[in-house]
Amino acid sequence: MRFRLSKIILLVPLAFLLIFFYIPLISIIREGLWDNGFTLKYLLSILSNSYHRHIIFFTVEQALASTGLTLLLGLPGAYLFARYDFPGKRVIKAFLTVPFVMPSIMVALGFLLLFGKEGFFTRLFGDWGILYSWKAILIAHAFYNFPIVIRMVSSLWQRINPHYEEVAMSLGAKGFTLFRKVTLPMLMPSIFASAMLTFVFCFLSFSIPLILGGYQYATIEVDIFMLIMTLLDFKTGSALAIIQISLSFIFMYIYIKSLDSYSKAEEQRVFREPRKMTLKELMSVKGALILLYSLIVFIFIVSPLLAVVYDSLIYNGHFSLEWYHRVFSARYNPIFGATTLTAIRNSLLFGFGTVVLSTIIALIVAYSLHRWHFRGKNIFDALVMLPLGSSAITLGLGYIKAFHATPLYRTWIIIVLAHTVIAYPFVLRAISAVLRKIKPSLSEAAVSLGATEWKAFLRVELPLAMGGIIVGAIFAFAMSIAELGATYMLYSPEYTTITIAVYRFLGSRQFGSASALSVILMAISGISFMIIERIGEEVW
Amino acid sequence: MVILELRGIVRIKDGFRLEIKKLKAREGEFLTLLGPSGCGKTTTLRIIAGFERPDSGEVLFNGGAVNDIPPYERNIGIVFQDYALFPHMTVFKNVAFGLEMKKLPRQEIEKKVRWALELVGLGGLENRYPEQLSGGQQQRVALARALVIEPELLLLDEPLSNLDAKIRERLRGEVRRIQKELGITTIYVTHDQEEAMAISDRIALMNIGVIEQVGKPLELYYRPRTEFVARFLGLSNILELQSDGEKACLGSLCFKTEKAGRVRIFFRPESVYIVEGNEAEVRDYELLPGRIRLKLEINGHLIIAERFLNELPFPPERIPRKVGIEIRSFTLL
Repeated sequence: MRFRLSKIILLVPLAFLLIFFYIPLISIIREGLWDNGFTLKYLLSILSNSYHRHIIFFTVEQALASTGLTLLLGLPGAYLFARYDFPGKRVIKAFLTVPFVMPSIMVALGFLLLFGKEGFFTRLFGDWGILYSWKAILIAHAFYNFPIVIRMVSSLWQRINPHYEEVAMSLGAKGFTLFRKVTLPMLMPSIFASAMLTFVFCFLSFSIPLILGGYQYATIEVDIFMLIMTLLDFKTGSALAIIQISLSFIFMYIYIKSLDSYSKAEEQRVFREPRKMTLKELMSVKGALILLYSLIVFIFIVSPLLAVVYDSLIYNGHFSLEWYHRVFSARYNPIFGATTLTAIRNSLLFGFGTVVLSTIIALIVAYSLHRWHFRGKNIFDALVMLPLGSSAITLGLGYIKAFHATPLYRTWIIIVLAHTVIAYPFVLRAISAVLRKIKPSLSEAAVSLGATEWKAFLRVELPLAMGGIIVGAIFAFAMSIAELGATYMLYSPEYTTITIAVYRFLGSRQFGSASALSVILMAISGISFMIIERIGEEVW
Repeated sequence: MVILELRGIVRIKDGFRLEIKKLKAREGEFLTLLGPSGCGKTTTLRIIAGFERPDSGEVLFNGGAVNDIPPYERNIGIVFQDYALFPHMTVFKNVAFGLEMKKLPRQEIEKKVRWALELVGLGGLENRYPEQLSGGQQQRVALARALVIEPELLLLDEPLSNLDAKIRERLRGEVRRIQKELGITTIYVTHDQEEAMAISDRIALMNIGVIEQVGKPLELYYRPRTEFVARFLGLSNILELQSDGEKACLGSLCFKTEKAGRVRIFFRPESVYIVEGNEAEVRDYELLPGRIRLKLEINGHLIIAERFLNELPFPPERIPRKVGIEIRSFTLL
């Protein structure tokens, strides 16, 4: 139709994903299943090797356990946020955004400092054997994911029409029975979707098991990393990557299906304002529980960050800026082969590059998914969502296999491209969330008043979507800054980023320097956090 | 002069088939598409606007096909059920939007916006944002925004259905006044029969994808062509009787017919007059303000009658068990 924006524009994201996601993916499959002809020997050698088998099981187990812990921590919060308005709610809510923007290597360092032999936690409560065990992994995963559970579940909880519960009450249901028979079934889509998302993230997470789990508690992701980067065994690494991809795509599929029913449930229902708590309620047990929960959330989120800041300021047992001085004064740092300023510059450069690229692609995809009907839309939808199910290490491996012979290899561009593939699904989510809220009748009204579809987009939809687009862009920036796995596999010394520098410092046990650099990382992420707060767009 | 014409429109969507063989709107006419929800009236409006394309058939504006003309070149004004006011623009900006698209000079835009806002009685609210307005005010802004571009055709999609009953009644009078004042051809979509009767020059009554009957409100009311039309508008009596070729009788009550066999006699409750007599049994009655609705039975057939209280041949406090009736006008269905 003449007034439609040309659908040819869909070729931009499709071509991008084909070249920078699907071709690398195929390269991995080829590497793992091909040796002068089709072969299953690498796959079978993994499955028959008890070490790799153990790692596969452990990866699933820790993801399951992490999801359990995350739900345990998140569900009470979801209830409180959905039902009550209490003093300090805004602040706690704002704090929930912190994990989204904080780089996992920095958070892992924070937990390292908390639970280590000299750590704050250890000094206060004794050594619980948390570090270098599954416990540390679970705690760090819960740190990242419990805000997702709170946001998704409370958002649906607020939309349950109070009439359902009132009718049930009039029929004699009360207390836990009421919750179990009426409320819980209606909440199920949100609990399941947030749990599934948490599971996928934990299944694919890299920095946290790498740093907190040690060799003994390696996950598939860490195992592939070791196979490729230490043993240079591309065949086995690729075969393991194939196993990881297959599993994660299945999980992703379940997640996307569960998300469908979640969005449907969210759309159908009425929005109910949380009730303002009376002073009397605040002074009762309920108020005390809210205070306790808020305190736990606050301490949980803040303590790893504070540990890093504190550590960066302590030199030889007293306060000093020595670590910062060291980090910045070195003209050339032998540990990562560049200066700190170069690393900061690189991080910012990759960040901005990722923002531009991923925002453009996500905007096109989000717009077409929300406004257009076309043949093969389901397939298009699946094709553009799959990158969410790929891991950073697998992507890095794919890039090495697919592009090592091209001039792209060992340039900064290839790093930005990898970051874009990793970040863009999140940008897509943020933009989709706002586009969904914009009624199609708005652009139709503009078109009826003489605006072309393009003009209606620029003048009406774009300004209304701007909040979500900026939040998405900030996400992209934060994820690019935080990225370690893929960057590590693709970089050369002149493209060292802050995260790589931190990892290098950790590898050589220089915690003070790692902390000082992490604080810089935290400051950059903090700015992202404040912009998101400023815009106030609910994206999760 | 015919401004709008639909010819042989077919649109199949999600298993629903819309078919409009013929529909015309004359210059200055207020034509209402009336029907239950899901009958295809909004789809018809969207086809006229150009938001949806018919699978076959033609949409003609002033005799010329506009199938390939995009909505923004059709010169239409449209008001949606949800108003679709741009939330990030002030009232002034909303109304000015269409004029800015036409790239009119600043001063002219200001003059026209002011005129449109005066027309809908909202002068002085230029700098408010939509969320600061009441539902009725938002509706007026939407109307002003549609009218300011001086469209050839005004399309209204259930514009009043989100408003309170009182405001709805007042606004519908105003919509009609403005429409007459500007003489603008208007297509109005509603499911509310009262609204349609009150406001329209003509009504096209739709049912599951087809137009059942088009005509003036009174034509549809007293001379429905199908049972659906008869039953959709107001209350109706439909009697199935046997005719001898000249008349069909129910007891002593006879209706003139032309052909023999089964006939269906249709009449409205207000065509039933209550007289002295005893051929009808009073089954039940309901008091309405100033009126009474009686459920009567003759030979096993139920008839609803509605009269003003002062037209009864007996005091309304004492309704007898049996009454006589006269049916003064009827139609054969």
